[in-house]
Amino acid sequence: MNLWNSRSIAGKLTRMNLLVSGTALLLAYVAFLGYDLYTLREDLIHSLTTEAGIVGANSVSPLLFDDPQAAENTLSALDHSPHIRWAVVVRADGQVLAKYQRDAASAPNLTRTLSPGRNLEYWSGSRDILLGSRVQFQGRSLGAVYLLAGTGELARRAGQFGLLSALILSLCFAIAVAATATIRHLISRPLTELAGTAQRVTKEKDYSVRAPVPKSSDELALLMQSFNEMLEQIQQRDRALEASRMELEQRVRERTAELTEANTELEAFSYSVAHDLRGPLQHITNIAFLLQNPARVEGDEHDLLKKLAVDANRMASLIDDLLNLSHATSTPLHRVPVDLSQMADSLLNNLQLEEPERKARLTVKKGARAVVDEGLIQVALANLLSNAWKYTSKVDVAEIQFGFTEDAPGPTYFVRDNGAGFNPRYADRLFRPFQRLHSQSEFPGTGIGLATAQRIIARHGGRIWAESNVDRGAVFYFTLPYRAGQ
Amino acid sequence: MVLSIPSKPSRSGIRNQFQCLPHRAMAAWLLLFSAIAFAQAKPSDDDVKAADLFNFGRFIRLNGVDASAQQHPTFDICILGHDPIGHVLDDVAAKEPIGKRAARIVRVPDAYAARECDMVFISADEGDGVHADLAALGNADVLTVSDAPDFLKNGGMIQFVKQRSRVRFAVNLEAVSHTHLVLGSELLRVALTVKGKSPEAQR
Repeated sequence: MNLWNSRSIAGKLTRMNLLVSGTALLLAYVAFLGYDLYTLREDLIHSLTTEAGIVGANSVSPLLFDDPQAAENTLSALDHSPHIRWAVVVRADGQVLAKYQRDAASAPNLTRTLSPGRNLEYWSGSRDILLGSRVQFQGRSLGAVYLLAGTGELARRAGQFGLLSALILSLCFAIAVAATATIRHLISRPLTELAGTAQRVTKEKDYSVRAPVPKSSDELALLMQSFNEMLEQIQQRDRALEASRMELEQRVRERTAELTEANTELEAFSYSVAHDLRGPLQHITNIAFLLQNPARVEGDEHDLLKKLAVDANRMASLIDDLLNLSHATSTPLHRVPVDLSQMADSLLNNLQLEEPERKARLTVKKGARAVVDEGLIQVALANLLSNAWKYTSKVDVAEIQFGFTEDAPGPTYFVRDNGAGFNPRYADRLFRPFQRLHSQSEFPGTGIGLATAQRIIARHGGRIWAESNVDRGAVFYFTLPYRAGQ
Repeated sequence: MVLSIPSKPSRSGIRNQFQCLPHRAMAAWLLLFSAIAFAQAKPSDDDVKAADLFNFGRFIRLNGVDASAQQHPTFDICILGHDPIGHVLDDVAAKEPIGKRAARIVRVPDAYAARECDMVFISADEGDGVHADLAALGNADVLTVSDAPDFLKNGGMIQFVKQRSRVRFAVNLEAVSHTHLVLGSELLRVALTVKGKSPEAQR
């Protein structure tokens, strides 16, 4: 198994700790042991050289007088040097004069001797060192002393070093294990918590969670802070997205409601259209039926045909008004500067020309100008003025006035008359299609004119309203705001 | 073969037997022959005595005397009486100095003549004359050596004695103490007995 396959960072750090300290210790052990063994061996050789020198000096007279007993006495002093296992004093001819052995196991067996011309030599074995030193007296060689020292001390020292190193290694291991707790606290735990937070964010899509930021100011704390800031940004975007979605839904709901309302209105409108067209059509059908039996309508044909023409005109007028209304709703606006005063003047003149017998006082205030769709605004103004013309038909002298007041932010235009007026309680019904406040016999009409005018004003971004009392006349106000770019 | 000439240990004694041969080449040939023939031969008592005598000279010194002023340029080993070992000494003395001084073997007619020597060997053949010889030497700074019995009792300094077929020597420090001579402790270490020695010199 790979040493670094551990899943936790703490484990990896612990292993790294152990590896580094273990390697350092091993290298230190090898270096110190090597140095110590070297110096120990050097010391041993030095010590052996000294001892060989002393033994040699004390062996001069035994060698000179060939006294083995004295030589052995000299050698017996080596009892105090525990590393020496055996020693011999040899004569110049190579014969052994005296020998010493520490125990029976270490039997003297001289395998190497000094090379001619050399006074000091040593030979290292695997477990011992043999040192030979020539005994000289007054410039003459009398023989030699050989000392054999065991290197057990070196092995013992190596063993001690090994034991000490093992102890230190164990201690390092214990410290590394203890350090793991600290590492876990300082590094691993924050990272684990970060990983947990990230997993939670991934799984639960919960951007409100935050990773706990350590109190330190290291890279980990920076990482946590950056992570949290990232979450904060995501959360903000999420909120904005949610708000946008909510707004969109709200708008969809509003549009749906508007559409539903429009649909309902359309249904009601269709019903009204059908109903209002059905009335004159029924008349036409009935008259046609009567005209098929000349005996039953004898003498009345002329009246019947007159009524037929009235119904047909009424239907044509209704259809024209419906086309106007449709046109007012769907035609695109083409705004141009228009002189409303001139337009009103022209329309009122036409009305007077159609009924020259009526007495009317028509007043138009000059200078009413606006940037509007000329065709549409003419339809709207014609509806309002013809409305005034119609409802003043029963007064002796009709008074119809077109004017405007300069208000902020723009002028308010009005059409005032002294006609029948209307009950202000029903003012809200004035601008609905097919809603009429007077009977057909009293004031004939389709009930579409004011609705059409209201649609056109609304399409221009303006507002229309009316004030009146029964038999006290009526005033219709409207505004036509205009901003460049509309 | 234990003579103190380690580089060529057997030559001195063996060659000595043929020293009268005139021809060197012949001598060399005989030397080789004898070396083979007598390789295992034990040195004679006289050889040992001669070697020891020579070595004694290496361990004596004069106490309280300016050595350079008083001593001769040669180390004189005198032989009094019968001369059983002199020929061995002659051979050694020709090659080996004693300390920094060349060794010289001097055969003296009487004890008085020996007073100027550094060491005198009195042969056992002197018999009762040994006592007179020692008396004649008095307290002269001469190391007296002999193989005569009771030599130490008579006031001699070193006496060769035979122990278990080996030639050893005994020392009479009391006799030495009457002179300026000092015997090295190395010498006393290998002595068989030391008479009248000081406590700190005990083996």
